Amino acid sequence: MEEKKPKKILIVEDEQELISSLTTLFKSGGYLTLAAYDALYGISLAHKENVDLIILDLGLPAGGGLYVLEHLKKSVMTNSIPVLVLTARQEKELEEKADRLGVEAYLHKPFDPKELLAKIKEILETK
Amino acid sequence: MNKQNKIAVDTGLKVVLQELEENPYRKFKIAFSLMSIIPFLVFFYLLVSRLFTMEILASDIGIVLSIAIFISLCGFFVGYSVIKNILNKIVLYAVQAKHSDELKSTFVASVSHELKNPLSAIKTNLFNVMQGLVGSVNEEQKRILQLCDNIIERMKYLVNDLLDLHKIEAGMVEAKRKLCNLLEVLEKQIKEFEIMLNKKRIKFIREVLDKGLSVWADEDKITLVVNNLLSNAIKYTPEGGNVTLKICPADGLVRLEFINSGEHIPSDKLEKIFDKFERLDYTKEGTGLGLAITKDIVELHKGKIWAENVPEQGNKFVVVLPCDLRRIKR
Repeated sequence: MEEKKPKKILIVEDEQELISSLTTLFKSGGYLTLAAYDALYGISLAHKENVDLIILDLGLPAGGGLYVLEHLKKSVMTNSIPVLVLTARQEKELEEKADRLGVEAYLHKPFDPKELLAKIKEILETK
Repeated sequence: MNKQNKIAVDTGLKVVLQELEENPYRKFKIAFSLMSIIPFLVFFYLLVSRLFTMEILASDIGIVLSIAIFISLCGFFVGYSVIKNILNKIVLYAVQAKHSDELKSTFVASVSHELKNPLSAIKTNLFNVMQGLVGSVNEEQKRILQLCDNIIERMKYLVNDLLDLHKIEAGMVEAKRKLCNLLEVLEKQIKEFEIMLNKKRIKFIREVLDKGLSVWADEDKITLVVNNLLSNAIKYTPEGGNVTLKICPADGLVRLEFINSGEHIPSDKLEKIFDKFERLDYTKEGTGLGLAITKDIVELHKGKIWAENVPEQGNKFVVVLPCDLRRIKR
């Protein structure tokens, strides 16, 4: 019987401490993680690696999260990857814009880790 | 004029009035220019009574009148320069106040943003440790970690409340009004508090006089008002007590009353509790910003809110909101 391949999550986030804690959290859920600290590296990893989900911060250096999102959704190689936005910004306009661009979920920082894991599970199961 | 501009102009006016208070020479100038109106009026009266002939200047009282005209003109000149000066200063101080308010906005927004990232990392790390993802944790350690998590939660609310309050006070928030059924908003919120109500064995009483009552309001913000007031009522009600919610229409307005069987609010605190960081009981959970935010939102909707004590019952918070004219009755 073929062994089930673990799902790969790309974290695009500039806070290294948060990446480290998210990595531990996702490992517990049986996921593999990759991390990018800025917008451009995030786009590049999304194209190179075959990821199943992207966790995206909106306040990113080198372009910002919305730039990453626009780029991912325009490219045929990446437009089917579900994106979960994780942001400290509260502007309703940002949320609406991200929604229009087609994000799967939008969580505000500081988030509940349990809720984040549940959302990820839900997205990956419906993918 | 939006709230931010109004605050800026008020600040400018306050500074100018304070300057006037401290400057007796300027006070004299204002008094002189105001008093100079008297000789002008006398001259004008004489001119009118003599059918606009300038002969009065050549009469016996001509010299006196000429002096009166001269004083009046001096008074007008002084008055004009004083008013011009005051207006310039009001504008200057208002611009300065607005600029400093904008700086404050940027500061609050960036501080809140910068606090949320480390809070997320701390919260996730705590969760990882509590779940035993990085090694086993005994019960006592778990209890201590849970305490830390509770503190993080409090900080999260504080940061969010600070940001919300600042946005409302700076006039950066506009009410996105639509017709919303008040009872639906209330029922949703009551459901959220069911666990808390059961935990404290609080009897919840509804007194709804009009089930189809709608208000023309921003539903998210009105939800926040209801949430804050319900949470407050439950927080300050002793175990086994009562919380009553009354809704009634009143002459184009809707009146909501959140009554709890808690202790009376000291009379000197009835108004103060709507101030920032003012709390009745510091042992109770809360940021001390909930009622300030609630008041701002109610005022944003042109409504009123106040607290009063109910003899032999406890206390109540009353919200009066303008009701929509196109009231829908189901």
